[in-house]
Amino acid sequence: MAFVAIRHLYKEFDGIPALENVHLEIEEGEFFALLGPSGCGKTTTMRCIAGFESPTSGTIEIGGEDVSRIPANRRSCGMVSQSYALFPHMTVFENVAYSLNIRRFYRGGLSDRVSVLAGMLNRKLGRVNRETEEKVQNYLKLVELSHLGDRLPGQLSGGQQQRVALARALIMEPAVLLMDEPLSNLDKKLRNSMRVMIRDIQKKVGITTLFVTHDQEEAMSMADRVAVMSEGKVIQVDTPSGLYSHPAHSFVADFVGSSNILRGEVFPADEGEGSWIIIPGEVRLRSDSRREKGEAMVLIRPESLTLLSSAEAAGQGENRLSGSIRWAAYFGAKVRYGVDLGPFALQVDTVYRSGEPLLQEGDAVMLTVEPNQVVVL
Amino acid sequence: MKKRLPRFDGLTILQWTIFLFFLVFLVIPLLSIFLVSFTGEPINLPGSLIDSRIFSTTVEKLSHASLEGYQSLFGGSRYLTALWNSLKLSMGVAILVTLVCLPMAYAFARTDMPLKKTFAALATVPLVMPTFISSYAFTLMFGQTGWVNHIWRAFGGEGVLFEIQSMLGIVLVQIFFFFPYALWPMVAAFKTSNSNLEEASQNLGAKGWFTFARVTLPLAGPGIVSSMLLVFTISFSDFGTPIMMAPKNLNLIVVEAYREIAGFFNWSGSAILTVVMVLVAAFFFWMQRLVVRGKEYGTISGKPSRVKPVANRGVRTGLTLYTLFVMMVPILAVGSIFLSSIATTWGYQALPNGYTLDHYVTIFSRSSQNILNSLILASGALILSVVIATFVSYFVIRRGSSGLDFFSSIPLVIPGIALGIALIQTFNTPPLQLTGTAAILIIAYTIRRMPYMIRSTMGTMMAIRKEIEEAAVNLGASNLVAALTVVAPLMVPGISAGAILVFVTVVKETSISILMAPTDWAPMSLAVFQNLLRGEFYTASAMSILIIAIVVALQSIARKITRDPLY
Ligand SMILES: Nc1ncnc2c1ncn2[C@@H]1O[C@H](COP(=O)(O)OP(=O)(O)O)[C@@H](O)[C@H]1O
Ligand SMILES: [Mg+2]
Repeated sequence: MAFVAIRHLYKEFDGIPALENVHLEIEEGEFFALLGPSGCGKTTTMRCIAGFESPTSGTIEIGGEDVSRIPANRRSCGMVSQSYALFPHMTVFENVAYSLNIRRFYRGGLSDRVSVLAGMLNRKLGRVNRETEEKVQNYLKLVELSHLGDRLPGQLSGGQQQRVALARALIMEPAVLLMDEPLSNLDKKLRNSMRVMIRDIQKKVGITTLFVTHDQEEAMSMADRVAVMSEGKVIQVDTPSGLYSHPAHSFVADFVGSSNILRGEVFPADEGEGSWIIIPGEVRLRSDSRREKGEAMVLIRPESLTLLSSAEAAGQGENRLSGSIRWAAYFGAKVRYGVDLGPFALQVDTVYRSGEPLLQEGDAVMLTVEPNQVVVL
Repeated sequence: MKKRLPRFDGLTILQWTIFLFFLVFLVIPLLSIFLVSFTGEPINLPGSLIDSRIFSTTVEKLSHASLEGYQSLFGGSRYLTALWNSLKLSMGVAILVTLVCLPMAYAFARTDMPLKKTFAALATVPLVMPTFISSYAFTLMFGQTGWVNHIWRAFGGEGVLFEIQSMLGIVLVQIFFFFPYALWPMVAAFKTSNSNLEEASQNLGAKGWFTFARVTLPLAGPGIVSSMLLVFTISFSDFGTPIMMAPKNLNLIVVEAYREIAGFFNWSGSAILTVVMVLVAAFFFWMQRLVVRGKEYGTISGKPSRVKPVANRGVRTGLTLYTLFVMMVPILAVGSIFLSSIATTWGYQALPNGYTLDHYVTIFSRSSQNILNSLILASGALILSVVIATFVSYFVIRRGSSGLDFFSSIPLVIPGIALGIALIQTFNTPPLQLTGTAAILIIAYTIRRMPYMIRSTMGTMMAIRKEIEEAAVNLGASNLVAALTVVAPLMVPGISAGAILVFVTVVKETSISILMAPTDWAPMSLAVFQNLLRGEFYTASAMSILIIAIVVALQSIARKITRDPLY
């Protein structure tokens, strides 16, 4: 039984659909990423879970309980938004302590209430009890900010603010942690270290996490499972490697990494497993995917193609394509070539060995690909 | 699931309470006075709602409604003359203020005129005093016994420079005390209109003045026209100057309306004049909005033009001296009041005959009640404004209540005298017999200053991002607790600056105070007014200086608060 279950979720804004039949199941303790281009409905999904948008229809369950009728302030969803939304007039300590104080306000006696309200209006009036003090310190330590408790958010760097927001959400020990593009306001280097930090903390705390992002690299490197969204719909849910190797749709293939996608006609092979694909221009490819006869899209990842110079490529065989180099581009340790095959072109990645000369534009080459790397979508 | 069910929580009840407030104290009085202008007799709308007898008399009165009053208005009566005179005055002032400001605005926006900071500070002086005190100051300078005329005669002049109790006197006071309202919008217009086009024009060989007349002016045009319309509305609604300076044979609509109600209790006449005043003010206000609308984006996105040194030293000196002259007149006016407040006697002389602090002793001993009244009334209006403006901003911005937005901005187009007459008419009789109480006075001040207060609180509220409030809710706070613990503290600087300004304008307020304040609640401004009527000029001066001092002190505090944003 999934810990967070979103079923048949629809959301319209003034009659315009933003979410259509979103269906997600997140396991307890899982780090689940919601990946998709800007405007596809990720934030809306998250806000529905947190209770800030009321779905047009559909149900949301957390821990087996339908939360649709529970107001946002009692949903037990910790939220970290893109802009962090720290309270600018409170110190880091007070920001993190906020939910504890609120809890004390609601559950405590009259003196607690007065003390909490006074403390929020004027720092000197509010006395923090020992329990709160210790807990806040623990969470500040968790995000490595113990030394900055007295600062105001305006005096912190982006990454530090991010960590305050995380600690502030975690301290109330929510059932689910929701993070909306938390890294998109940071520079690239910081983003990489924050990824590691967030993932470590998530593992340490063991909290079920929904992580929203438009960055496929982020989703693929951090998440246990990823849901790819497009135009308000969930297209595919799988592990990162599953998405990469078996994308269910050309959109996923394209979004989840650079890829060659070709349109062709599929014929089930007569002998053995797999199929034949005829791509316009009389090119025949063998694939291990088995499909019914008909039109289909075919995916070949650039790194699954092998590039041979014409001289090396003696003889005939399956899945051999001859063409010529159109362009070359360096990507660090790899070189990507654009290879012209007449009716279409493919991108091919090769490992760059230093000292070796690059192939030149116009050089004749031969491409090969294993049948298990030709994915019929 | 329905999208938005009506919520009957505390906030919703509050929202309806505020609606009710505007309904009772703004909409019903205005509607009543509108009806009275047709019936010619007082109408008791609140009473009609609860008492069937009053209801039937009201119906009876309404059945006799006629256009008689309006016919006499357009039949060439005193009223028509009054309207016509007021229109002439306001148009004249609007045009002259624009002309006076044109060189100054250009100098501020486009040249390296020296002393800009000083001039900007001096330009706040005209706004620290109520216009009837400015008028009094002008009388001290240009009256029969005024020091300017003394100097004039010393240089061989005859009699007086000009008759101060005249249309010319009113025009001059309004020009020198209203020009800041036009100056800064015009500076902004010159700053944002594209200077590249001017450079192009000059590169093509056009002379400086030609470029100014054919390129610069048309580009800054909408901004200039808008400030001209603004000055028109301000001049048209101004009560302080006409009541002090209009001679017997010069009818002006605000004075006429005041006399009809305060002197003769003539409901028919004052109602018609009120309706006409509101219509004229609303029309020009609407025109101003029309001019500004659509231009805002252009001016905001337009890149600020660079300041060019003026090539001609003569022009630069000329502009500086001219600006200095315009700025000095209000300073001299304040200075004259100050001298008069410490003079033993002063008249037909350049300077007082001797100096004393007796007048201050007098006001603190004899008029301390007025000072206390002003402080109490202003504090009352301040508290009421803060509460209402804060919640109105919240409802308008967070809950999209356009109704409250509309109601709360109605007072922008209601001249003070008109609001006063409407309120007296409605609250003169039971069930809501409030005329003569401090409460209705405080409410009147509050309503009159509400749009300005709301502008200040809305600005602060808009600067608080919704996510911050949502974060609080996400962390467990209810909407109300989130508002109290996060939104309210963040709004404090904006609210306090706005509140201080409300306090200041209430201390300065003339028309409402003169019209509505009962004797035992007379504020300082009314005390000055009565002192002047009684001929107690020196104590009037001392009290004026006290008002100015309070205003200046509080304004600088407000400015400091808004300039030091805490976060
Ligand atoms: N409050 C709103 N009112 C109207 N439309 C909205 C609102 N919030 C989101 N939308 C629309 O819903 C769609 C999904 O938005 P969002 O969930 O913010 O996308 P994402 O977070 O994936 O970028 C967009 O087309 C957006 O314009
Ligand atoms: Mg988003």
